[in-house]
This record gives sequence, structure tokens and C-alpha cells, in this order.
Amino acid sequence: MAFDYDSSVRADIGNAHRTYWQTLTQPGNWFTSAQRIAIAAASREATDCDFCAARKTALSPYAIKGEHDSSVDLSPLLLDAVHRIIMDQTRITQHYIDGNEQQGLSKPAYVELVGVAVAMFSIDEFHRAMGLPLEVLPEPGAGEPDHYQPEQAVTGTGFVPMISPEGTIGLEADLWQPGRTANVLRALSLVPNAVRDWVALGNAQYLSFEGMSNFTQPEGRSINRMQIELVAGRVSAINECFY
Amino acid sequence: MLRVSATTTNTEINLQGIAGDQAAAAQGIEFGAELISFAEALALRDEDALRQARTTLRKVAGEAVLIDAAGVAGNFQRMVRIADSVGIPVDDMQGELGQSVRQELSLEQYRSAENSLNLDS
Repeated sequence: MAFDYDSSVRADIGNAHRTYWQTLTQPGNWFTSAQRIAIAAASREATDCDFCAARKTALSPYAIKGEHDSSVDLSPLLLDAVHRIIMDQTRITQHYIDGNEQQGLSKPAYVELVGVAVAMFSIDEFHRAMGLPLEVLPEPGAGEPDHYQPEQAVTGTGFVPMISPEGTIGLEADLWQPGRTANVLRALSLVPNAVRDWVALGNAQYLSFEGMSNFTQPEGRSINRMQIELVAGRVSAINECFY
Repeated sequence: MLRVSATTTNTEINLQGIAGDQAAAAQGIEFGAELISFAEALALRDEDALRQARTTLRKVAGEAVLIDAAGVAGNFQRMVRIADSVGIPVDDMQGELGQSVRQELSLEQYRSAENSLNLDS
């Protein structure tokens, strides 16, 4: 069984990680299962990429040329996007995403790629934090992407279209209550399943929506809300995240 | 969120813990210094420091605290990348609380601040 953690690890964490592994064995909206697993593998390799390390210290991400260290079967365009997201995310711009679109990485495909890369990263980072070995990636499943995207996605917030705060209707009615959301929750909504994955992982590793409204001692946690937010804030500060 | 939770619980804290000041992190927050050392070592990918911080946090606070802190730290390694990869702006740049926190921690120096500040220009 994947994620067969010691009994001291909360069961909901293992369950969330196993559920995410299952999603990798299925096609997404824009990538096959094999491609999704390749994106996950690239996310895992990015932190050891010498080119990324050199580029991160360069004045501009375009100042140096080179190739990413990778054993993954992904196009250079997709590989670069995954490595940028993991290693140099603060310098991603509208120009970069528009340029990728012109080269064939559509905005909804980019959003799915972001979702897979960062979900994988958060699971691996939990393991690294705990000093645990990384889980072996699953075998890819069959099927083709369906190219679904919500019709109600709109531009105007960030670099990609998103569902408006009031736009969670029809198939997307479960994403959030109309009007009760935040940009970080809307961020990946061009691919609704990416939001569902984010919420499921966040429920276990951080807090559920209900838990977020508890500013004292969230149920089922050994640390109080101040301790939770201190850890969250320090990680965000080191990553220079303004949001 | 840290400021809100401190206000809710009537706890005096020092936000400079977020900036890495260990003494500040410990003010009003149990295991605050150990928690930020752990979070910092993870985010900076300093494996030696991470081993030491993990051992210390486990020793002073216990396994359950370590697990919950690891979950939160891993989660925010993801959240910051979602925010910056799609360039989302801060939801409410005019809110008084957010403005005071951004000023106190000098967050406008961050490159990704452009995603929010450019909307005001």
C-alpha cells in the first residue's frame, strides 16, 4: 500500500496522499495519466537541477542558456514550465505564460500542469520534512484527456482565466459557495479537478474550510492556530510570496 | 492569519518571527522558535539544519506536533507556488490589517508584489 505511514501519522494525511496518487493514474482534462505522472516526476527532479540553480541566481531567467537535468519524458516546453514553478516561481510572468501558449502549452493545460507539479511537491515536502523516503510513483492508467474547461471562466485576475467568485454553478457548484472564496482558491479553477485536489490535500496537511474559521485550536490538530500560521508564514516569507 | 489568531486569543505576539527572528517567534507562541527553525530549514533546503530542527522539535514538542508542522510546511511550499505561478493578486489590498502586516514585514520588496501593486497604478 502506498503511503503506509507509521501509526503516529494522522490517518487523514495518508488517505489524502493515497487519493492523490489515484488521481495520477487517471487522465486529466489536458494530459494523459502517463503525462501527469511525468509532470510529477519532473517536479520531484527539479530541486536537483543544476541549470535551475544557476538560473535562479541570474539577474533574469533569460540571462543564461542551458538544459534542465531530467530523466523524464516531457517536451522541453513542459519540462521548463515544471522547473520554473518549483524553482523560480516568483519570476513567472504573464509574458512567459502567453509565450508558452504560442508554443503550444495552452492556459488550461498550464493550469493542470501547475496543479500536478505543486500537489506532488507538497507531498514530497511532507516526506522530506519528516525524514521519510519519497513514495514510488504509480503506474500510469489508460484513457485520454477530455479537454473540459468551465464555460464560466473569465479573465481579469492573474495570468490565466478563472471562475468568478459567483461562478460556481452547474458542474462546478461544489468548488465553493458563490461569493465566498479567495483568489488562491480560484487560482486553478480553469481546471476544476485541480481545485478539488488542492482542497483535499489542504484539508489534511493544513486545514479544512471549516477549520480555517477556527482561530484558536482547530479540531484534530496538535498545534494551535498561531503555531500553524507561524509555520505557514515563515515558509511563505522564505519563498518571498507577497500573496 | 497569525495576527488574527493572536487577536482572537488575546495573545501578544511579535510578527518578526515570520521574518526569522527566533526570540520574536517564541513570544506568545509555544515552541515558536523551534517551529520556525524547522520551517526555515525545510524551505531553504538545508538538509543538515532540517535534521537538527526535526530532532529538536520532536524532543521538545513531541511527534504529533512535528507531524502537524510538517504537513503545514509542505502545504505552504505548494500554496506559494500556486499563487505565483498564476499571478494572483492579494484579495483586499485596502484592508487595514493586511496593510499593517505588509508594512511591518516589508513584503512589498518581494518581486511577486507586482501582481498586486500593479493593479493600483
